[in-house]
Amino acid sequence: MLVTLDPGDARPLYLQIMDEVRRTLVVGTLQPEDPLPSVRELAAELLVNPRTVSQAYRELEREGIVYVRRGQGTFVAPNVHRGWAERRALGLEVAKRALLEARRSGLGVEDLLRFIGEVADSEEEVPSDAMAAANQGDEE
Amino acid sequence: MIRSVESAQGVRGLAVATYGLCKRYGGETVLDRVDLRVPDGAVYVLVGANGAGKSTTFRMLMNLARPDAGTAEVFGMDTHRKDAHVRAQVGYVSDVRDRAYPNVTCGRLLQHVAVFYPAWDAAYATHLSRALEVRLERKVRSLSKGEAQRLHLVLALAHRPPLLLLDEPIDGLDPVIRRTTLALLIEHIADTQTTVLLSTHQLHEVQSLADHVGVLRGGRLIAQMSRDDLEGTVRRYRVEVPDGWMPPPGLRMAGLRRSSGGREIQATLLGGERDVVERLTLAGGRVREAQPLTFEDAALVLLTEEMAG
Repeated sequence: MLVTLDPGDARPLYLQIMDEVRRTLVVGTLQPEDPLPSVRELAAELLVNPRTVSQAYRELEREGIVYVRRGQGTFVAPNVHRGWAERRALGLEVAKRALLEARRSGLGVEDLLRFIGEVADSEEEVPSDAMAAANQGDEE
Repeated sequence: MIRSVESAQGVRGLAVATYGLCKRYGGETVLDRVDLRVPDGAVYVLVGANGAGKSTTFRMLMNLARPDAGTAEVFGMDTHRKDAHVRAQVGYVSDVRDRAYPNVTCGRLLQHVAVFYPAWDAAYATHLSRALEVRLERKVRSLSKGEAQRLHLVLALAHRPPLLLLDEPIDGLDPVIRRTTLALLIEHIADTQTTVLLSTHQLHEVQSLADHVGVLRGGRLIAQMSRDDLEGTVRRYRVEVPDGWMPPPGLRMAGLRRSSGGREIQATLLGGERDVVERLTLAGGRVREAQPLTFEDAALVLLTEEMAG
């Protein structure tokens, strides 16, 4: 699992870590029953307080995305597989950020949706390899 | 002064507490009634410009300087009357990278210090020395400033004390070693029940680590709060305002900027968002945006804020 944090992101760190775990799940680099890095390991890697990682893991456990095997660590729940719930949670965060950005520029929801459509249409004409690869996992 | 630690925690559960700490050197006030509250288990970052009183505070906790007024406690023990007991519980890195025992090797110094601490972990000391590139065969006298600093970090951590007092532990280290040091410190916190009080000018380096912050300005502790409170207290606002608009008096703010036409302002304001928005609206403004700040930016605001009106 590769987790990176954006130093300019002002959201609480545990939420950012939760989103990163969700992202790796949706993208598929993290699979059911995969172990998550230990709190100590991930904290030292991200240079964050170990308590913050613990909090993120606790919240993910409460949401049923991960579970704890006593003495062994934290693992991805068996029934989580790029499910709708994870995609939705991730999508809502992306939408929130986009909407905030739009409002700052004086744009409404309608405007934003229309322009997203326009940009997506223009991109579809030249699909990149990376996007094609990312979309491969979508068929379920 | 903004306080939330005390109300949330009471006086119990504090690793470090100072009560009305004052210090004058010559005619100059270095500390002015400082009431520090460091909760047990916290990673508390003390920020302030050079000369704001950070190092003096550390020295008083170690009984290396005496206050003119006020007292200080570590785990409830008076730092003056119980100084030996306090020191036994503390790992201290001083901002003066002193080279006491200049003629012994680093390895010999580690053995010497180990005797004073029953909890000294020799294997851990070796691990730390290796990770921080402290060459044990070198004489202390010949160490550079950065090497002496790293040696002191090893000495501070290797007995796994319940309190670490780290006065600018990463300042002056090169970026690679700085990262290593922070990672070691984080592993240390994960493995050991520790409270950390540290000062630094490298706020961005520790912003993901800190869960409390204290701000010293001109010897006064002008703010101290938890990370959550800091993040909930500071917002950057964009407000549409009528011509010739002045901010309502009593608002605590930093970095007021006006658009060229004067019809929009941007400012960072302290206080609950709802309260601030209400006051801005009452004063004739229309709040367009209230943006949360990163820990570093929010702490910087506390260092520079002024009172409006």
